[in-house]
Amino acid sequence: MIIEKIFNKWILFFLFTIPVLGFVFEEPYYITLTTKVVILGIAGIGLNLALGYCGLISFGHAAFFGLGGYVTGILSFHALNSELIFSWPFVTSGSSDMLVIWPIVILSSAFLALIIGLLSLRTTGVYFIMITLAFAQMLYFFAISWPNYGGEDGLSIYMRNSLPMVNTMDPLSFYFICLFWLLIVIFISAMLINSSFGMAFQAIKQNEERVKSVGIETFKVKLLVFVISGTITGLAGSLYTDLNRFISPSVLNWQMSGEIMIFVILGGIARLYGPLVGAAFFIVLEQTLGSYTENWQFWLGLILILEILYVRTGILSLFEKKLKYEK
Amino acid sequence: MKNKILNIKNLSKTYGAFKVTDEITIDLHFDEIHALIGPNGAGKSTLIKQIVGSVKHDIGSIILDQEDITDLTDVERAKIGISRTFQVSSIIPQFSAIDNIVLSLLDKSNKTFQLLKSIRNNKELYSNAKKILKEIELLEKRDISASDLSHGDRRKLEVGLALAMDPKVFLFDEPMAGLDENGTNMMINLFKKIKSNSPILLIEHDMDAVFALADRVSVINYGKIVATGSVDEIRRNELVRDVYLGYEI
Repeated sequence: MIIEKIFNKWILFFLFTIPVLGFVFEEPYYITLTTKVVILGIAGIGLNLALGYCGLISFGHAAFFGLGGYVTGILSFHALNSELIFSWPFVTSGSSDMLVIWPIVILSSAFLALIIGLLSLRTTGVYFIMITLAFAQMLYFFAISWPNYGGEDGLSIYMRNSLPMVNTMDPLSFYFICLFWLLIVIFISAMLINSSFGMAFQAIKQNEERVKSVGIETFKVKLLVFVISGTITGLAGSLYTDLNRFISPSVLNWQMSGEIMIFVILGGIARLYGPLVGAAFFIVLEQTLGSYTENWQFWLGLILILEILYVRTGILSLFEKKLKYEK
Repeated sequence: MKNKILNIKNLSKTYGAFKVTDEITIDLHFDEIHALIGPNGAGKSTLIKQIVGSVKHDIGSIILDQEDITDLTDVERAKIGISRTFQVSSIIPQFSAIDNIVLSLLDKSNKTFQLLKSIRNNKELYSNAKKILKEIELLEKRDISASDLSHGDRRKLEVGLALAMDPKVFLFDEPMAGLDENGTNMMINLFKKIKSNSPILLIEHDMDAVFALADRVSVINYGKIVATGSVDEIRRNELVRDVYLGYEI
């Protein structure tokens, strides 16, 4: 465990140095890649709370990622066009201010997670997987059939949203905004995992019947974990839209849910930094193998199979073993 | 006449054509250990599951401390004071022994939804958990993962989880199964000590332990209570000897 903590510090060290080196050597491409790793890592950390620590195998986290992205895109789109979003029952205009957008994204993602959680958490196992998948697919098809915001073609927002006293169009500045959120999310997740609430949801993963028998309302605990998890993933979706200055229904598709799940599995289920490592590994594979073949996912599949057969607890545990051996 | 803390009336459960429990009426007085004995498959564990609410009954009622709890959920029943052990050890395998006990203390201390405070810093909870571990003779093994404990120690830990809830009644389902002589004696002494605070409905196959502990004994066969009485009355009962005890005792 101590060795894993040292490794986690190395991860943070790389997150600070790689983009700075990219800036020094005028290679903004590496800054953008690391920004993508950080954002997808946030999404994965969100899912890991539900999946890794509470045993809720959600195959619908794309719904939150996409909602966060679309809320950001729609608010920004209306702000740029100076059009109202609603004129009834109250006048609602868009905004390109991140300080306005983030709270709205957080509230809307939490609300969606609450609704999906209330309905899906009454089921378990494969039924829970299918219900969460169904919700995400409903939103996906809704986004495709909504011409106001680009339908299948997606929505471009041209200008990154703004933050007072920060030039968000500068890749390094935007990167540090994302890194700030990553650190907040890691901090909150660590606090939750080590709290009495964390003890309850980690126990539920192992033996829910026993947890019920000691008087703990497992449904409420799972619902709150699901809401926090969805909210974090929604926030990642918001940052992702700002990174790309574009949002399309593809981020609501089941494939996105699968990718977020892959980050968690690759890096290490129920390991705080696991999804971040998983997202980094995924992006490196995409960039390296993707330059040789379009079907690079074939090799990703092979790596996943090997990992599940021989490592199981993710890349982090592999490093942990090596470090132990070296010691 | 003693007051009843738990009063079960006409509790029945049918799976298809098979009546697992058939209009069972049984009660538990303050300060007593009421043992429920009977052959395997007689319906003892199903009755426990119906009392805790994990199995829905078809008809009947359950009164706990003059409150009708028949329509409450399993979690609500646990909250208002029904604490149980499982027939097969049911613990949190990856938690240490002390963390298992702390989990059991969470609801009573209203700490379940404390989101951002480290549980490890809660000295009061861990101090209470240590007291319970001492009672069940597991204090020295407090940091061992529950999955690494021996079978006997897991049975003790189960009882510890029930103790931690400080309930109105205990429902113990074969708590001494697989325990060695020392473990059984420890349990017997512990049960004698705790029954004055929270009476015990005890399912047990170890007849020596039952006869050493029970104030009353009920015998269940094919889902029906066939006899209830003191240890001596049950020992002498011909029907009970026929269906369960035999003639050696």
